[in-house]
Amino acid sequence: MNPPSPGPHDLKGRVLIIIPAHNEEESLPGTLAEVRAKAPTVDILIVNDGSRDDTAKVARAAGVPVVTHPVNLGVGGALQTGFRYAMERGYEIGVQLDADGQHDPAYLGVLLEPVLAGKADVSIGSRYVEQTGYRAPLNRRLGMVFFSGIVHLALKQRITDTTSGFRAYNRAVMAVCQHDFPKDFPDAPLLIALARRGFRLTEVAVVMRERQAGQSFYTLGKQLYYPYKNLLASLMAFIRRPI
Amino acid sequence: MAFLSRTQIFVAVGAVMLALYVLDLVRRRRLSEEYSLLWVIATAVIAILGFSTPILLWITHLLGMLGAASTVFAFGLAFAVAMLLYLSIKLSRLGFENHMLSRDLALLRHELEEMRDQRKGTS
Repeated sequence: MNPPSPGPHDLKGRVLIIIPAHNEEESLPGTLAEVRAKAPTVDILIVNDGSRDDTAKVARAAGVPVVTHPVNLGVGGALQTGFRYAMERGYEIGVQLDADGQHDPAYLGVLLEPVLAGKADVSIGSRYVEQTGYRAPLNRRLGMVFFSGIVHLALKQRITDTTSGFRAYNRAVMAVCQHDFPKDFPDAPLLIALARRGFRLTEVAVVMRERQAGQSFYTLGKQLYYPYKNLLASLMAFIRRPI
Repeated sequence: MAFLSRTQIFVAVGAVMLALYVLDLVRRRRLSEEYSLLWVIATAVIAILGFSTPILLWITHLLGMLGAASTVFAFGLAFAVAMLLYLSIKLSRLGFENHMLSRDLALLRHELEEMRDQRKGTS
């Protein structure tokens, strides 16, 4: 699969790349340089989520705006801050992109296309829509299949990669999410909540890489708590009346 | 006044002392009025059960408890559960508010920095 270019659209001032960063001083410079090189017309925001290393300094050195949380709020909180920033400054689309270099900015065009064309409100970059050669550890794979099943059950729509952190959200979605968003990593429960509100979700195929440096958000303690929390949150998202 | 056992006296006196301590905490502004309410109600109920044997026996009979001591324990436990649930709810809300404040603070601080940089640039 050839990574396509971000396309001919002029995205200046329209698309904001939101990069949640928690202790990512090592991988951030590389990620920023790559986004700049492969998608020069999009704006970037770093949400420094209570890092104890030099994440903020590294980002500032790269000339990118940084918003710093005084404490660690989690990926969900970081995105919420990013959405609010995007709303206040009139961006049409917010793109969630990991700081660790997992997501190739070359796929931004593919990711943005359905949202720019108005065919979807949320576009999810998926490792599994086509065979892309990515293989997660067994426990992760089981979880993904399970929660993909839960989402399918709730929405009658197949989302194969519910935990993808490479997504594009349009303004209407960001307007809602800046006030109401999951605290932890936004996956199955968020997708269910958004679809229940009538937003259209779509998946596009992307290639993801191994993380370059830093630590994954999934630690051992969280691996036990996560399935419980996510199942309950999914159920609540499903039975809660959409506001 | 007839007491069923010495334990009943201990419980009753203990409840009154706890109530006085809670009120003193409010006086010294260590405990807010809002949080004192549940404590005062609970200690008052336990004290009434402790000091008035007829009421204790009547409620014991009413609830079908096997012994008067169980009634006191049941009330104590019910209060503990109510208090814990109340605190969990409060804690969740505090966490949510804290979350929101942190995000607001981050955005405001960013805007302040931007404005400072702009001023530096123009002057």
